[in-house]
Amino acid sequence: MQTSAVTIGRASAMPAPTWHFLNMNDTVIEVPAGLAISPSVKVSEPYSAKGAADEFENALADAQEAWEQDHPAPTAEELATREEFLAAEADATYGGTAQSAYQVVADAIEESRSLAVAFEHGVGDEAAAYLRYAAGERVVVQADPGKQVDAQVVVAAVPGTVSAAAIDVIADAGSSVNLSIVVEADADASGQAPQPEGITGTTVRVFADDGAQVSITRTQALDEGFTDIDDTGLFAADDARIDVRQTILGGSATFTGLAGDLRGDSSRIDVDTRYLGHSDRKLDLNYSLRHHGPKSRCNLQANGVLAGRASKTLRGTIDLVRGCKGAEGAENETVLLVDEGVHNKTVPVILCNEDDVAGNHGATIGHIRDEQLFYLTSRGLSQEAAERMFVAAIVEQAAIDAPDEAAKDAVVRLGERLAPGFAELFEEGV
Amino acid sequence: MAEKKRTQVDDIDRSMYDFRYDDADAEKLDAGLTPDIVREISERKGEPEWMLEHRLKSLEVYNSIDMSDWGPSIDGLDMDNIVTYVKPPTEQKSDWESVPDNIKDTFDRLGIPQAERSYLAGVGAQYDSELVYHSMQESAAKMGIVYSGIEEALHGEYAELIRSKFMTLIPPTDHKFAALHGAVWSGGSFVYVPRGVRLDYPLQSYFRLNAKGAGQFEHTLIIVEDDADLHFIEGCSAPKYNVANLHAGAVELFVGKRAHLRYSTIENWSKNMYNLNTKRCRCEEEGEIEWISGSFGSHVGYLYPMSILAGRKARASFTGITFAGRGQNLDTGCKVVLAAPGTSASVETKGISKDGGIQTFRSSVVATPAANGSRCTVSCQSLMLDDRSRSDTIPAMDIRCKNVDIGHEATIGRIGDDKVFYLMSRGVSEEEAKAMIVNGFAEPISKELPLEYAVEMNNLIKLEMEGAIG
Repeated sequence: MQTSAVTIGRASAMPAPTWHFLNMNDTVIEVPAGLAISPSVKVSEPYSAKGAADEFENALADAQEAWEQDHPAPTAEELATREEFLAAEADATYGGTAQSAYQVVADAIEESRSLAVAFEHGVGDEAAAYLRYAAGERVVVQADPGKQVDAQVVVAAVPGTVSAAAIDVIADAGSSVNLSIVVEADADASGQAPQPEGITGTTVRVFADDGAQVSITRTQALDEGFTDIDDTGLFAADDARIDVRQTILGGSATFTGLAGDLRGDSSRIDVDTRYLGHSDRKLDLNYSLRHHGPKSRCNLQANGVLAGRASKTLRGTIDLVRGCKGAEGAENETVLLVDEGVHNKTVPVILCNEDDVAGNHGATIGHIRDEQLFYLTSRGLSQEAAERMFVAAIVEQAAIDAPDEAAKDAVVRLGERLAPGFAELFEEGV
Repeated sequence: MAEKKRTQVDDIDRSMYDFRYDDADAEKLDAGLTPDIVREISERKGEPEWMLEHRLKSLEVYNSIDMSDWGPSIDGLDMDNIVTYVKPPTEQKSDWESVPDNIKDTFDRLGIPQAERSYLAGVGAQYDSELVYHSMQESAAKMGIVYSGIEEALHGEYAELIRSKFMTLIPPTDHKFAALHGAVWSGGSFVYVPRGVRLDYPLQSYFRLNAKGAGQFEHTLIIVEDDADLHFIEGCSAPKYNVANLHAGAVELFVGKRAHLRYSTIENWSKNMYNLNTKRCRCEEEGEIEWISGSFGSHVGYLYPMSILAGRKARASFTGITFAGRGQNLDTGCKVVLAAPGTSASVETKGISKDGGIQTFRSSVVATPAANGSRCTVSCQSLMLDDRSRSDTIPAMDIRCKNVDIGHEATIGRIGDDKVFYLMSRGVSEEEAKAMIVNGFAEPISKELPLEYAVEMNNLIKLEMEGAIG
């Protein structure tokens, strides 16, 4: 089945927008006409296939019930007192504090007291719905209490198609799930001229129940010509821990979005993103981590190299919601700019509605430090060769850190295409 | 365990600002915004034709663009009810004794003449829509410095210079309230510092909005020629009314080669004020702009002074503090454009929010492809004094040049128990420890302010020590 063109507007929108002239608030994803919806997805065995398609919704509904027990709704009397207080404030302060639109939306989400309403997709609901439609049946990975499940999903990029997977991960209390997602070029189609055109994508929902541990690695090593959409939504209950590592190396355009609800006490989400922008690549990264649970922790690390005429936008939002006492959110980005034609945009946001918290962010954007360059050039490398080393290092590190053979093969194959001889050198090095 | 009491941080004592005089003698135009009102403002001022055209075009722009959707709500501001022009019952004076008593008393109570006597090289005072007083020390005048009302300067020898610069840094198309300013601007100062002239004492303009339900739209244009040096201080206040007042001024600063300008502002509008002010500076080669900015008043504030570093090795620094208390949403920060090789900028801001107030730091740093070898650091710290308030940080960076170094860091939190413990272990009482920490938090800003402003700011964030913060 071939589809007509699709435009997904306001994708990967950051919760608190800023000046429009910066063109950073959100992005637009264009799906060209004429692509066939044809998922080319391989799912490893063994993984628990017992999960039903609505397992995630059921888990979230159970969590809602448990959360409401711990967080009873305000009584009519309390609501009346609050209304009275707000009315008095409005009288005393010229209509009350004039909130920004995003602050009103954030309050409305909290007042809904609904975990389903608060659950978000990083690239946005519209993109997630499109990927779900393109993927067809969901892959459901479920770990029973106290058990460990390892699963692998390989999405192959096939020219002229939309190849997508929709994955739900439900980690029951005390369980452990390791999920590896590999998005790779179709080996048969590699090197086709002219550049093949196609879409790959995954939309992943993760429910980590009390004390569960979930680790997700997503390795993307596409050829040029492909657009990749990587959508993730996370929910972490008490003491749950979710680690996400994203390695983004290829393709013509990448839209990566991750949203997380740190709902539980002492829940934790760590995100480690490594990317390489080269040629005319476009990378769009959006992260939104919302702390609800007391003593919850998040740590967002993004490190990358931009070369050629690559452009990258990173929106990173840590939201410390009232009541998340003792929470800590940290965000750090390092970008190495290698060529004159690169374009880097970064907006690291902290939203804070709670005083007993710590929020930190930092960003370092620049070129190779003089002392590093001096060291390398003093050993006979030209500046250009030194800069290429940093590019190659990203690919090499991705291959070394690959969680499995499929991911490593995909990275090495991309490395070979970017720098002929890479595969041989890498094997020698290993 | 006994419940810990939070330290109470006092609201700013605005009693010294919150007095007003009857404005029955003032000439007011009708509320609202129409081409006829704009024409009438221009006619009353006897302006050149180009300015009337500029006003009418700006009004068209104002009507054609939407209000921004990212900042604090301005739903409480109904432009149909805002009086855009209020002329006090006096002409501009250069002799303080000639100023009408109630206006004189206003500025006396704010300490303006006293400041002039003690340390200023010149003072301008605006009351509602018009300047009522302008004077400059003879020594400064002898140096060739011009400090006058911008409207009178439009008719003098600098008319062409003003025309060539007016609203070029802040075009009416920039945003809705820049367009509004272009349509109804009134009053404000013109400063010209000739090449090589360095003024040791600051000039100061003070803006007072007395009339109820009115807007103030002064335009400040400062040109500091090559190798010259100036410190300019701006202060503003208003009495509190139960209806919205609006301030939509514009400040355009031109800093020449190797010139230096320090622009200090303490904004202390009353809490019914919508402060939608725009400030912008262009620096030429090795020129330097220093912004010192304190934002304390207003119901809603949008304020982001912008530095355009257009010449090689031009420099900018921005040092700011924002204190948002009950009923306030202050969205402040700055913009930097690194547009030439070797430019550098540093931004250091502090934000305090309490009692349900909202404080947002918003910034943009843009490095153009021409910014080879430039650098910029942004540091932003926010202190939350209770869990009813809000503190957001939204810094954006847009880098289009390889050889730049851009650093950003931000922290949000409350006063750490470990810091209090550390000081207490060295014999400092708990109360003193907390006072030291809060004063230390604001110190990088207060040390940059003129003395009397620093004292005022310390009073503004005075602490009543009782129990523990948090």
